[in-house]
Amino acid sequence: MAYDFSVVLRFQDALALGLWMTIKLTLICVVLGCSLGFFIGLARTSRSAFLRAVSSIYVEFFRGTPVLVQLFWIFFCLPLILGVELSNLASGVIALTLYMGAITSETFRASLKSIGPEQLDACVALGLPRRVQVTSVILPQAVLRAVPTLLSNCVSLFKESALVSAVGMADLMFVGQNISNNTARPVEVLTVVALIYFVIAFPLTRAVTLVERRVLAKLAI
Amino acid sequence: MTMSFSAPLVKIKSLHKSYGPHIQVLKGLDIEMKPGERVVVIGPSGGGKSTLLRVMMGLEKIDSGSISFAGKPYISSEAADKKTVIDTEVRRSIGMVFQHYTLFPHLNVIQNLILAPCKVRGENKASATKRAQALLERFGLGAKASAYPAQLSGGQKQRVAIARALMLDPKLMLFDEVTSALDPELVAEVEQVILQLAAQDMPMMIVTHDMWFAKNIASRVIFCAGGVVVEDGPPEQVLGSPKEERTRDFIERVFHIRH
Ligand SMILES: Nc1ncnc2c1ncn2[C@@H]1O[C@H](COP(=O)(O)OP(=O)(O)OP(=O)(O)O)[C@@H](O)[C@H]1O
Ligand SMILES: [Mg+2]
Repeated sequence: MAYDFSVVLRFQDALALGLWMTIKLTLICVVLGCSLGFFIGLARTSRSAFLRAVSSIYVEFFRGTPVLVQLFWIFFCLPLILGVELSNLASGVIALTLYMGAITSETFRASLKSIGPEQLDACVALGLPRRVQVTSVILPQAVLRAVPTLLSNCVSLFKESALVSAVGMADLMFVGQNISNNTARPVEVLTVVALIYFVIAFPLTRAVTLVERRVLAKLAI
Repeated sequence: MTMSFSAPLVKIKSLHKSYGPHIQVLKGLDIEMKPGERVVVIGPSGGGKSTLLRVMMGLEKIDSGSISFAGKPYISSEAADKKTVIDTEVRRSIGMVFQHYTLFPHLNVIQNLILAPCKVRGENKASATKRAQALLERFGLGAKASAYPAQLSGGQKQRVAIARALMLDPKLMLFDEVTSALDPELVAEVEQVILQLAAQDMPMMIVTHDMWFAKNIASRVIFCAGGVVVEDGPPEQVLGSPKEERTRDFIERVFHIRH
């Protein structure tokens, strides 16, 4: 069988649009999801039992159900319950943000917990009020420590975002699938789609390792 | 400070402290420290030396007893609900340096030094930085102002930690085995800095296993074991010819190991 990769070139504009949707969706959900995850992470380590309970339920629920199910639920059930129409993009953003929030909250929680008690001893010995301990000592270190894992979370989200094709969002995967169906050239088209994901994700994964080394070197006490 | 010369700087009254229901660490400790005194606390491992300093710094709850500073009680235990009451204003007169490195790793040396003065006392950044730089010069760390803790040797870290505590003009310094995590060749540089403070009559309480250092810095030595003060006196007595049998055993053992 002869492969004809020129078919891919014919549809390059459509693929570019799909890729743009994937990137846009990922970036929006990275920003919103990390912010959400930050506050959920704080809530999970808070002194208030109520905040801890609510945040735990949220995190466990989103970690314990398939992302695909979450997507379908938000695309098809949420509009019914709320009684409002949600655009495809809005639904996708909500779904992946909630998922990303649950994942990154665990990252933030782990980094908060990794700050040794001796740092707090030093804060008390310096007479730092609680507010300053949190904003000037604990949070900056927690965020710095979280960066490498957060980057991994972002790369995962970039890849997981392909799931939105299943609910009809015109992302890279969706466009690729359509072209492949219409041209009957699955090998060429889907291989190129896979390569596009890889070419973007792979350097990022390597970057994670580099960033991790630098963060660890800096925070070594 | 306005007080008569013989009034105690620190007065610890029948201090009891336990970790949980089974580990009784301090079992009725009484210590009076006069202004200008440099008290070295020695004793066997697990005897409660670190616990004593941590309690004085307000880092631990107590079971009962009280501690006053310059005549003001600042740590006490309410008999009714056993709650430890700490006067944070008085506590600010006390500085502490720990055995473990406790610099803030995400801040450089200057930032470590000026954080508390700026945030606690509202000092402006320029003046705090100026004081910090002067202090660093004094401790031979002038060139390290913008280094991060990870780029410093253990000895440098501990000297920065001392400088950081001094930025708040403490009236009493607590040192808990500040050299015992260090490579032997780095111990002297840290001890020199503490001796420099001693020469300026900074009142201090020091826990150390280094008997040479104890001898050189102490104006008074307390031997603490089993949660109580076993012997308390001038260094020549406690380190040289102790009266108590337990002190003698300990001193012999320690000197034996060291030589
Ligand atoms: N946070 C804690 N929880 C439970 N037990 C503790 C805690 N901190 C200390 N202890 C126990 O209290 C006792 C006294 O400890 P402390 O650290 O005060 O002794 P130390 O005299 O400083 O000993 P060392 O010379 O080894 O530093 C020890 O038996 C120790 O195991
Ligand atoms: Mg100790």
